[in-house]
Amino acid sequence: MVKNLPVVPTAKAGSLVETPTGITWRVQYPVISEKCNMCLDCTLFCPDGALIQQEGKIELILSLCKGCGICANECKENAIQMVPEYSGVQGVFR
Amino acid sequence: MALSIADLPKEELFGQGNAGCGGCGAAVAGRQAMKALGSRTIMTIPASCMATMGGSNLKTTWQIPFYHTLFEIAPAVSSGIRAALEVQGIEDVNVVSWAGDAGTADIGFQALTGAAERNEHMLHVCYDNEMYMNTGGQTGSQTPMYAVTSNMSKGKTIKKKNMLAIMEAHGIDYVASASIAYPLDLIAKFKKAAEKPGFSYIHILAPCHRGWQIPQEKTIEFARLAVESGLFELYEVEDGLRTRNVEPSFIPVEDYLTPQGRFKNLTPEAIQSIQAGVNRHYGRGE
Ligand SMILES: Cc1ncc(C[n+]2csc(CCOP(=O)(O)OP(=O)(O)O)c2C)c(N)n1
Ligand code: SF4
Repeated sequence: MVKNLPVVPTAKAGSLVETPTGITWRVQYPVISEKCNMCLDCTLFCPDGALIQQEGKIELILSLCKGCGICANECKENAIQMVPEYSGVQGVFR
Repeated sequence: MALSIADLPKEELFGQGNAGCGGCGAAVAGRQAMKALGSRTIMTIPASCMATMGGSNLKTTWQIPFYHTLFEIAPAVSSGIRAALEVQGIEDVNVVSWAGDAGTADIGFQALTGAAERNEHMLHVCYDNEMYMNTGGQTGSQTPMYAVTSNMSKGKTIKKKNMLAIMEAHGIDYVASASIAYPLDLIAKFKKAAEKPGFSYIHILAPCHRGWQIPQEKTIEFARLAVESGLFELYEVEDGLRTRNVEPSFIPVEDYLTPQGRFKNLTPEAIQSIQAGVNRHYGRGE
């Protein structure tokens, strides 16, 4: 019989997703164009799991993105452009 | 059959909402590795960026049990976890200790060599950013020669210790180097390690843009240049058999070194001697 793992968590699993730490540092965010050929490379290079594959497209979860620009730098099709913005305690300005 | 990204699990077991710097190579390593290890995994992490990044007592990015250990003991704690699972008859769990280069090669080395000697049924991962980043970027045994760190402003004067060779010398089940710029190779290696009945060691080069003084969007690029220049060889040792997994294109080492702020003191002679070292290693004409 497979038993459940004998661990008592102190923090709810994955709970940082609700209050991602880095988004107030963001000064740019990625915009994905039709040039994307769904190679999915960016989904494995993003440090924050902010780019996910959904319904045959790459979707950005903006709240998780810290704006590092790795995706745009790595995209072989040049399909990702970083667009400047300010996002902080005052809100988001584009 | 070769792996493809489309076939990987979609679940995000580590990384979303993590508290690391934007563009952190260690976070990329964690995400890629968890695609291979899956949800039946228990992780121990000693003091390091990776531990901090995972969250606090109140919130965490991990979707699996994750235990933040004291600095010196992650592989020992993992050994204990394996023993506890065995006593309870739980067999389908990957037990992993995951440490930075200091938690692996320096401060954490005693527990690591002990667990490897006992050939514990577990995997130890070193994510190597070549510095003690969580305390501000000090020099360690994995810092390469000439690199400037926060406590060696003129650059390190001694060579990087070869951890992969040291772990290979333990005669453990599996030893591999991996790079976040080659995710499918990395994931395949984690899958292999997870299948082994004894001890496995994976050493990942995971650049830290803050310590290396490179632009944050170039974290993956520099991980790739390290491999392509031949400075970081991607290989594995399985049952005593050594296989190189990626043939480098041998770009000049200079193209990898000089754009990094930490190598700002590199002289042409030093670059030449590093290039000569690479050429010797791969048996190429000088
Ligand atoms: C016994 C002990 N000594 C020192 C420290 C302080 N300390 C915390 S993290 C760290 C450096 C970690 O470096 P590394 O393992 O390379 O991981 P990184 O932070 O670079 O990812 C140090 C020295 C500690 N927590 N415990
Ligand atoms: S200091 Fe470096 S290793 Fe630590 S979280 Fe930042 S980028 Fe990652």
